Amino acid sequence: MSDLVLGIGDFGVSKDPSKSIKTYALGSCVAVILYCPTLPAAGMIHIALPESKVNPGRAKEKPGFFADSGIPKLIDALGKIGGPTKGKGVRVKLVGGASIMDKNQIFNIGKRNLLAIKKILWAYGMGAVAEDVGGTISRTVSIDVSTGEVKIFSAGRGNWTL
Amino acid sequence: MTSSLDQFIHKEIRKISLLSPNTARLLGLNSDPDHSLQDVIDLVKLDSALTARTLRIVNSAAFCPLVPINTIERAVAYLGEKMIVGIAVAESCGKMFNQPLEGYESQAGDLWKHDLYTAFAAKEVAKYAKNGIEADLAFTAGLLHDIGKPVLSKLLEKASKNTIDALDQGVAKDYLAAEKLVSGAEHSEVGYELAKYWQLPEPIVAAIRFHHHPAQASEELQQLVYAVHLGDIIAMMSGYATGSDSLQYNLDSRYEKFFNISSTELTKIISDTESAFRPAFESLGGKEEN
Repeated sequence: MSDLVLGIGDFGVSKDPSKSIKTYALGSCVAVILYCPTLPAAGMIHIALPESKVNPGRAKEKPGFFADSGIPKLIDALGKIGGPTKGKGVRVKLVGGASIMDKNQIFNIGKRNLLAIKKILWAYGMGAVAEDVGGTISRTVSIDVSTGEVKIFSAGRGNWTL
Repeated sequence: MTSSLDQFIHKEIRKISLLSPNTARLLGLNSDPDHSLQDVIDLVKLDSALTARTLRIVNSAAFCPLVPINTIERAVAYLGEKMIVGIAVAESCGKMFNQPLEGYESQAGDLWKHDLYTAFAAKEVAKYAKNGIEADLAFTAGLLHDIGKPVLSKLLEKASKNTIDALDQGVAKDYLAAEKLVSGAEHSEVGYELAKYWQLPEPIVAAIRFHHHPAQASEELQQLVYAVHLGDIIAMMSGYATGSDSLQYNLDSRYEKFFNISSTELTKIISDTESAFRPAFESLGGKEEN
């Protein structure tokens, strides 16, 4: 199976059943994964930060880096290959959003990413059916376009399915 | 550390190539607060291989100058001292940085990517220092902070699950303690030994030794070591880590004594670091996973 590999700030969609979409090493970053079982089609985005106002130039160059500029692009891309652009018919899963061991929470970007992402998804009538988020582990995640199966890997902790 | 472990570590360290003389001189210059960019240019000019590589990189697609840059003076001014250090270190010991770290379940190239990102993050952090800090020195210290890992990795091979178990069961409070429990040494201790073998300048040695416990550095070097401490953590948060130890360390919140960083500044640091890191990584031959 060939992988469509996404780096930080990338997003991608596919309805090729021979493909999977994958992104590596989510620390505080979050992968938003969309799956439309009827087509079938899948989409994923690797979000680093919640709000694009911190660097509008970067948001223009790489909208997927931020939740507010990236998620609409992902949903548009899914729509362009025939997928739904509203909540009905899309299964959403969220992976990542970890944090460092930090007592004062300033460095808890993962939590802020997740809050921003959920707020934006709600505006599209979308909510996550499953999450593997938080904690202090790095995650690599993939989705199989034909089955919608989401697999997670973490070094030292092995593989599991969400 | 037991004497047999000490012997093993020193035997492994002696297998590692010494830094090239010009790289060692460049790191010495970088640590001297009175040096100028002209000193860096003069040093690069003495090294034909470093000159050629610098000119190739400055004219690469990653940096894409408006007009071709043909002189080393303009190349060094365009790239900045940090990139010259990056080029020299990659040339001198790229093999060590690019090997897989089996003891950390880390792929080939992960350590270089982590260290280069940490270097850029430490430099960004330095911009928020309450007192003056040499940003290029923070870059270099960030680039070299994890040199102990390739050696310690050999001791952790087939034991990375034990380190994770020690953390999950609460026997070890962070990955450093888990390394000590499983192998008898911490990567920062091993890095310290290699730093002495390489005769690195004192501020860089301190950053290698104390980047997880910056408060233990001498008072005059603490600000620099905290910059590397934060750079290292930001690299892990951003997904640039070395396998099983990712995010398994404690943040020392006493950084607030040295830096004005709230959650807003932190997001700016992450965004700006990614922008600065990407062209440098690509031009130095870094490859993404596939």
